[in-house]
This record gives sequence, C-alpha cells and structure tokens, in this order.
Amino acid sequence: MEPIGQPAMNEAIDRLWAQFLPQMRERVATLEAAAAALAAGTLKQAQREQANAAAHKLAGVLGTFGLTRGTILAREAEILYSGEPETDPDAAGRLDSIAADLRTMVETRK
Amino acid sequence: MGHRILIIDDEDDIREVAALSLETVAGWEVMTANSGAQGLARAVEYQPDAILLDVMMPGMDGPTTFRELRKNPATARIPVLLLTAKVQSTDQRRFADLGVEAVLFKPFDPLTLSAQIAGVLGWS
Repeated sequence: MEPIGQPAMNEAIDRLWAQFLPQMRERVATLEAAAAALAAGTLKQAQREQANAAAHKLAGVLGTFGLTRGTILAREAEILYSGEPETDPDAAGRLDSIAADLRTMVETRK
Repeated sequence: MGHRILIIDDEDDIREVAALSLETVAGWEVMTANSGAQGLARAVEYQPDAILLDVMMPGMDGPTTFRELRKNPATARIPVLLLTAKVQSTDQRRFADLGVEAVLFKPFDPLTLSAQIAGVLGWS
C-alpha cells in the first residue's frame, strides 16, 4: 500500500473511531456500573477486576484517538481499581467523577 | 523500503489503528493476529521482518508469546517490540529484561508509530 498524507490518515482514524465507539461506550458503562456499586457498598471482586480491565483498555486506546486526558483519567481509574477502593473513603466519588468525564469524552470525542 | 510487520494484540481497536498506521503512513505490509497462539502460527507462516506484540492478552500473554517465539528456530531471530499500556517503571524493567528489541507504549501516535519502530530497528 502506498503511504498517504495526514488528512487521509485522519479520515481513516475517524472511521475507526466510529467503528469502535460502541466498544468504548461499553467500557465506560463498565466503569459507571462499578463506581455505582462502590458507592452502594456492593462492589465485588469480579466487578472490580472488570472495571480494572476496562480502565486499562481505555487508557491504552483513548490517547491514540487524540484523547490524551482520557488516557490519564482511565489510568487513574485503573490504579484505583487495582487496589482496594472500598477502603478509600474518597475513591467512590473520584471514580464516579472519572466515569462521568470519560462518558463525556467518548460521546463528544473532546 | 517496504517491510512486513505482524501485529499481535487481542484488542481489535488497537490492532486496527496500528495496522492502519503502519500501512498508510509507512506503506508497510501488515498482518494481524488476535491472540498469542494465533500470532505464533502467523509468525511461522508469514516470516515478518518484525513483530509488534501486546503484553496483556488473555490466555497466552505477551511475555509468554515472546518466549515461545524465541524457542522456535523458525521465529527465533525475528525482532519483537512489546506494546504495553503499563507505565510503571517496575513493569518497564521487567519487560525490557525479557530481551525484546524495545518496549513501546500505549497510547501511541498513529502518525509516528512507524517512525518509532523504524528508529528502534535501524530501518531507514
């Protein structure tokens, strides 16, 4: 394949963003559900591990689509879910806020 | 000069963006695999010039896949670059100690990924 210029590359990236948007929404939904469970005191290990994996995947991909702050926030969520967030009184609020910010970013790509 | 790259990553969004990047920015030929096991088979069949290998994959993870590649004479000499979203220095040292050519980090810039790889491998 012949190399193409940046505008064509950006168009191709836009197409991939649209293609994978449902997957990213699903990952954010996983984080929203885990944050809600944490706030309700019902977060179990399996759900925490799912949230950790979703945050890890979002951290890896959002910056690739230009959402560098999304990567930073997802990484923070990954770190919190890799520990014991139920023992941290500030974790529920922070993880809820991160999930909300990621939802906005994924829906607006900004 | 055209190069042939095998991308092994279970995350289809990352795999497709990386493939798009290497094909369209650098003009390289790209083959993909969605697991370590599939990657081992494709590496033998395809004999790529380099392999971009994700670290965290279900089943056979990146380090295990790398060790299997090195055990097989048909793939032992193919340069491998690990791709990871892990940024902690302990992880980085552990990955570098495996003997891979380089450790690259997610997220990557699709416009410069090929230059990163070419720089590591001394491809002009």
